[in-house]
Amino acid sequence: MEYITHLLILFSIYGILGLGLNLIVGYTGLLSVTHAAFYGIGAYTTAILLTSFGINFFLSIIIGMIVSGILGFLIGLVLSKFKGDYYALVSFGFNIIVFSIFLNWQNLTRGPLGIPGIGKPQLFDINFYNNFNFLILSLVFLLLSWLLSWFIVKSSFGRVLKAIREDEQAIQVFGYNTHYYKLAIFVIGAMLASIAGSLFASYISYIDPSTFTLNESIFILVVIILGGLANLRGSILGALILIILPEALRFVGFPSDIAAQMRQLVYGVILVLLMLYRPQGLIGEYKL
Amino acid sequence: MEIVPQLIVNSIIAGSIYSLVALGFNLIYDVTKFFNLAHGVLAAVGGYAVFFFYKTFGLPLILSVVIAVLLTGLIGFILDKLVFLPLRLRKASDMVLIVASLGAFTAIQAIIAILFTSQFQTLSQGSGQNIYEFGNAVFTQTQFIILASALIIMVGLVWLLKSTMLGKAIQAISDDEEVAKIVGINTNKIISYVFFIGSAIAGLAGVLVGFDTGIEPTMGMGLLLKGVIGSIIGGVGNIYGGVLGSFLLGFVENFGIWKISGEWKDAIAFILLILFLLFKPKGILRK
Repeated sequence: MEYITHLLILFSIYGILGLGLNLIVGYTGLLSVTHAAFYGIGAYTTAILLTSFGINFFLSIIIGMIVSGILGFLIGLVLSKFKGDYYALVSFGFNIIVFSIFLNWQNLTRGPLGIPGIGKPQLFDINFYNNFNFLILSLVFLLLSWLLSWFIVKSSFGRVLKAIREDEQAIQVFGYNTHYYKLAIFVIGAMLASIAGSLFASYISYIDPSTFTLNESIFILVVIILGGLANLRGSILGALILIILPEALRFVGFPSDIAAQMRQLVYGVILVLLMLYRPQGLIGEYKL
Repeated sequence: MEIVPQLIVNSIIAGSIYSLVALGFNLIYDVTKFFNLAHGVLAAVGGYAVFFFYKTFGLPLILSVVIAVLLTGLIGFILDKLVFLPLRLRKASDMVLIVASLGAFTAIQAIIAILFTSQFQTLSQGSGQNIYEFGNAVFTQTQFIILASALIIMVGLVWLLKSTMLGKAIQAISDDEEVAKIVGINTNKIISYVFFIGSAIAGLAGVLVGFDTGIEPTMGMGLLLKGVIGSIIGGVGNIYGGVLGSFLLGFVENFGIWKISGEWKDAIAFILLILFLLFKPKGILRK
């Protein structure tokens, strides 16, 4: 039971990450491979605020979202100058730059040693020390992220995003400032990723830079491409499949190093097969 | 200031390695017009092939290197046939090709790690390397070979493109694939040859890095990104541009860490790329 709770918590965290990235990649058509950077910014903000300043977890989530939002704004400002493959490449670059900062700004992040002993959330008299309560908390955040994404997608703002994806010039002719829309959705996606990061840091209670590499961004991309681009349920489905599927490898009984590599192999093969045979993913509504 | 000559040597060696990656990457980009991210992992394939044939299997050094380079070329060729050719025939968008190449990259890297473990290994036997001194700077025989290979491959590619039928066909495809088809060039066949040649060069880069420092399954991503950055800041699709950009990157990176930790190299490289894309997006030498 404890094990299933653990998997479901991870599922909610990746669900939140997937929802945010799907808004950027699926709905707006911007191939961003830098989501792990914002995931990490959220995680580090919570970790530092909780361990060094004893700030409440929920306050740290909000501060993390603000930090992520500001950095997302600056990064998005640069990214909005590019499109297509150059966009993807520059977003790669930002992931690597942010990762370098986690690794090298040792006074703040303790570098490769990581930050241990991150506390669990507490709200008035309710604490989230046991995993079941934590699961409820993560599911609440997943639900909130879903509602926010759903609201965005159904609004006129969301329709402009889809229009940008289909034909940016055409929507510009109608007088929409597409830069503003692309920037706004990038910042929202970054803030959602930051929530997931805060939850992850508090749940695992130890973080180090190796969680927030380019590989992690690729993994989140696999989640939404497998589940389905431009479909919110797709992000959830993708997270569910990719969290549960690798567990099967664990039961087959590979040593942990090999199992980790097998997982990478499976992700890679899934990406290639999807691109060859089903570029819109399982229930997606948009082909890359 | 005594460190400056050594920094110059380091920059030249880094620049040569990046040039080798950039040359192959540029050649493939020239005919396919997409960022082939799988190009990086082929360097790791080359390095590990030498590790297997030379150290585990005990074949002579030169033979192992030749086999490794050909094998890497072959894997690039097969990747084209299995993944990129079907996608091109379907007129898939650049994004689909990039994501597919990212998938191929992840998968091949994982296969290498499963076969050879993810440990760092060295290719050179013992410590019997000749070391040359040049003022205050020191460089090894391997590093000299790296510089020589980069220059030889560059000259070789220029010759291939300018003076052979294959090269002319490549240039025709690069200018306009449709028109090349109309005048009777079998474009898909030529592109698959390009994949072979470009990948073989990446394999050679991996082998040389393996002898200079060492190999690990994840070495491909770093090399790829540096090669891509080199070719973009030099001017994508331009042979001289790719080499020039790679050397510029080598110098900026090595002088950038003069006063700070070497771990910042990757960040410096990407900041250089982003500055170029913002202010000089076509690179130094445009095609």
